[in-house]
Amino acid sequence: MRPLTPRRIAWVCAGLFGVLFVAGVISLRLGAYPISVRDIVTTLFQGVIGRWDDMPGGLKSIVWEIRLPRIMLGILVGASLSTAGAGFQALLRNPLADPYVLGVSSGAALGAIISLIAAPHAPGAIQLAAFAGAAATIAAVYFLGRRGGQLDSATLLLAGIVAASFLSAIIMFLMTTLSGRDLRGMAFWLMGDLGTISPANPVRWFEALFAVFVIAAGAIYATSSDLNLILTGEQEARHLGVNVNRVKLVVYVAASVLTGLAVSVSGAIGYVGLLVPHLMRMMFGTDYRLLVPTSALGGAILVVLADTLARTIVSPTELPVGAMTAIAGAPVFIYLMRRRVR
Amino acid sequence: MRAWHRGFIAAAAVGALIASAPRVVAQTGAQNESRVYGDPGVAPTHPLEVTDDVGRRVKLPFELKRIVTLAPNLTETIYALGLGDRLVADTNYCDTPPAAKAKAHVGDPQNPSLEAIVALQPDLVLATTSINRVATADALERLGIAVYTTAGDTQTVLQMIDSIARLADLIGAGQQGAEVIGQMRQRLDTLHARLADRPMVHVLFVVSEPPLITIGQNTFIADALRWAGAESVVLSKQNWPQLSIEEVVRLQPEYIVFSEGHAGAAVEELAELRSRPVWRELDAVEMGHVVDVSEEAVRPSPGLVDAIEQLAREVHPEVFSRKNEIQDVESAWAGLKPAPTTGCGGLSPCAR
Amino acid sequence: MSEIAGDTSPLLPSVMPSPRAPGARLKVEQASFAYAATDRSAPKFTLGPTSFEAQQRELVAILGPNASGKSTLLGLLAGLARPLSGRIEVDGTEVSLLDLRTRAQRIALVQQESELLFPLRVWEYVLQGRYPYGRRLRFESSEDCLLAGNALAQVGADALRDRWMDQLSGGEKQRVILARALAQQPSLLLLDEPTQHLDIGGKVELLRRLRKLADDSRYTVLVVTHELNLAAEFCDRIVLLHKGKCLRVGTPAEVYERELLEEVFEAPLEVEMRASGRPRVIARGNY
Repeated sequence: MRPLTPRRIAWVCAGLFGVLFVAGVISLRLGAYPISVRDIVTTLFQGVIGRWDDMPGGLKSIVWEIRLPRIMLGILVGASLSTAGAGFQALLRNPLADPYVLGVSSGAALGAIISLIAAPHAPGAIQLAAFAGAAATIAAVYFLGRRGGQLDSATLLLAGIVAASFLSAIIMFLMTTLSGRDLRGMAFWLMGDLGTISPANPVRWFEALFAVFVIAAGAIYATSSDLNLILTGEQEARHLGVNVNRVKLVVYVAASVLTGLAVSVSGAIGYVGLLVPHLMRMMFGTDYRLLVPTSALGGAILVVLADTLARTIVSPTELPVGAMTAIAGAPVFIYLMRRRVR
Repeated sequence: MRAWHRGFIAAAAVGALIASAPRVVAQTGAQNESRVYGDPGVAPTHPLEVTDDVGRRVKLPFELKRIVTLAPNLTETIYALGLGDRLVADTNYCDTPPAAKAKAHVGDPQNPSLEAIVALQPDLVLATTSINRVATADALERLGIAVYTTAGDTQTVLQMIDSIARLADLIGAGQQGAEVIGQMRQRLDTLHARLADRPMVHVLFVVSEPPLITIGQNTFIADALRWAGAESVVLSKQNWPQLSIEEVVRLQPEYIVFSEGHAGAAVEELAELRSRPVWRELDAVEMGHVVDVSEEAVRPSPGLVDAIEQLAREVHPEVFSRKNEIQDVESAWAGLKPAPTTGCGGLSPCAR
Repeated sequence: MSEIAGDTSPLLPSVMPSPRAPGARLKVEQASFAYAATDRSAPKFTLGPTSFEAQQRELVAILGPNASGKSTLLGLLAGLARPLSGRIEVDGTEVSLLDLRTRAQRIALVQQESELLFPLRVWEYVLQGRYPYGRRLRFESSEDCLLAGNALAQVGADALRDRWMDQLSGGEKQRVILARALAQQPSLLLLDEPTQHLDIGGKVELLRRLRKLADDSRYTVLVVTHELNLAAEFCDRIVLLHKGKCLRVGTPAEVYERELLEEVFEAPLEVEMRASGRPRVIARGNY
């Protein structure tokens, strides 16, 4: 009997951090413009110590303004989506649940479209509007998904699916009847795009995103013992003293916020929220006290690697990240499914 | 408990490290405010600030030696203005003129590689509303690169020509620009005069199919058709409306126009349509009035005028008799343009 | 099959290393309940006022045919709902007033198993029974592991420790679920139709184990069942329910009266008193 200890969690996370670090280095290294590792290290180092003027020309822009923000965004988005996916799989008691199943991404997309129509050039408007759309969808699905005043997994799932289809239909309608040129970008956004978001104020931006991630993921983590029990049965968990209704509400809100966050800044990158928790379960077990942090790290790694691939496979053409995660994701998922049959 | 503490401290340290990275990233944003592009070694030349076609303020250096274009029509325009040697890169889709294919590529118009663009250290990047995304232009602007966006979705051909004129002025090719535009205007005026007393022919312009996508009234293509003496039968306010075949039956255009641009395309299309159930009963198909023009028809570039002339020949064959063509050749020798191809008219497709 | 015979490992001396309250004194006074499908429709089911008591070392059966209110009563005992009238007390405290964690420390409810979503090992499952103790986000201590191990030993499932839950047979799973309940260190042990999916061997083994738990470990055990003979053989007291009404409470001999049973179960029955003083119910065939 080897119960999970904080030490094991720390070791596993340290290992995954290491992998993430390597992935980050690889991602910094590769791209349409070749840069040697030595140049990267120099550029990074000089940036950290504040010597901007000494950097080799052109490298500063590419490393600090294009690749590094992209990597950091990828880490954030990957971590958010995987944590949300793990949460939803427990909340909905369904291993096929992914962060988009409750319609949050469709709501965000609708918000983004409306902002593109109304104010195409306003900085940061798309992200804010997308998040507002996500928030509205979260609230709507919550109210639809209740039964007897409490969140019920089956009802929630149905409500989410209905919301997702309805919102998608509206989006389709808008995209075909309105002929604004800015809607062209929507197709990209819908497939996931880490590239062109470079906000006017990166510091505030990243700090805000990071803060939201920590709060929401932390909330989910705090319920991980509860989730372990809920996964053996809701009634059983109640009898063991779990406040099931409160836990479900917390997980619902936190996971939806994480999803809304990720989708607002980078569109709907698929498969991450579905696959990574399963992969981590296969590797490290189903205990949510370990699964939540490993999913976060695993998701970050996956998105960074997928984005690197997307940028470099048919350079200089950039494929959308969502396509890469799907191409990599489908075979892995099939493999997982066949293994389950054992 | 001790393991907890260690774990927490480690996590906090890493978290602090990650959190400090954004701070460092931000420095670069602040530094770039006053520069034109990221190379610190070159002192910026005195910039000229202009407003582009979408209202963005652009700082243009006086010397524009390195230009990157993000759309095929812009590449074509640059070459037409005689600035082809200043073009350092274009997109994968830029194939007119053929020399453009040999240039370095920065990716697709929709999602070009920002890195590749930055690495080229361009003086100016040209984008257009008809094919590039706002996000791309925003990102380039924030990276300190001058981006000029032209209005590609104009409503009339003359507006499009004005846009080219404006661009030519701003990038220091005013004289070349005036010549090119002068020719374009002259050819259009000549055509207009020729077709002055002819009735407009009703056409259906097919952008792509299936599903059948055509053009709306507010596009420059619809206007281009009018210059060619043709009127689009589709009265939609949408730019790219999708029609059902029933609607086409109701509209009964006199001609169906495709823009495939390769030899024999009209014949192929006619054969194809003749084999389809409802299409084959359309008046236009029965009479063989299926026409193909070059791809330039949908592109806001100097080549549009060629396409307009080509279409005019197809749908008003009676105007372009041999006598009139000799006049054309003479006036072409007087100008700087090569002679328009001859031998077209009626049912035979134009060889191009 | 009857591993209980081979259950030679003596109960470890430190079965309950930390002090546990001895089996609770359960007192049910005129507890009734009613629930309806929606807020506005008429009550679909009611449980009439029911009273009985149970002490430590007692094994009580709540008996009745289907839809007689057994599960409702059990739910009230577990504190899942407040009785409409009356009181249910465990050691003097009203059950529905206890907070969730304290309640889980006192009362353990063993339900029929539900499907596990993800693979889980037996020891992980049993360890979950320690949840009511300590903080919400907690890591199990060595004491928890010891208690979980003891719980497994108590149900004779020690050998199953490292197996996967979904690879267990019905009887094995039943034992493991029971072990998890025991890991809660409850005073009151409630079981809802635990013998449903077991064959006769499994049923007997389970009841014998429950009897042992009550006798040796001083639990108070309540079992909801409709198995007349098993209840009669093993239980100290029977609570007989019929269509939401508590008809009789008493020892098996007192409750098993032929006319009463025939009315409740709507079948021709015969009651035979055996030498041990415990009755046996036989179904009468068509002869």
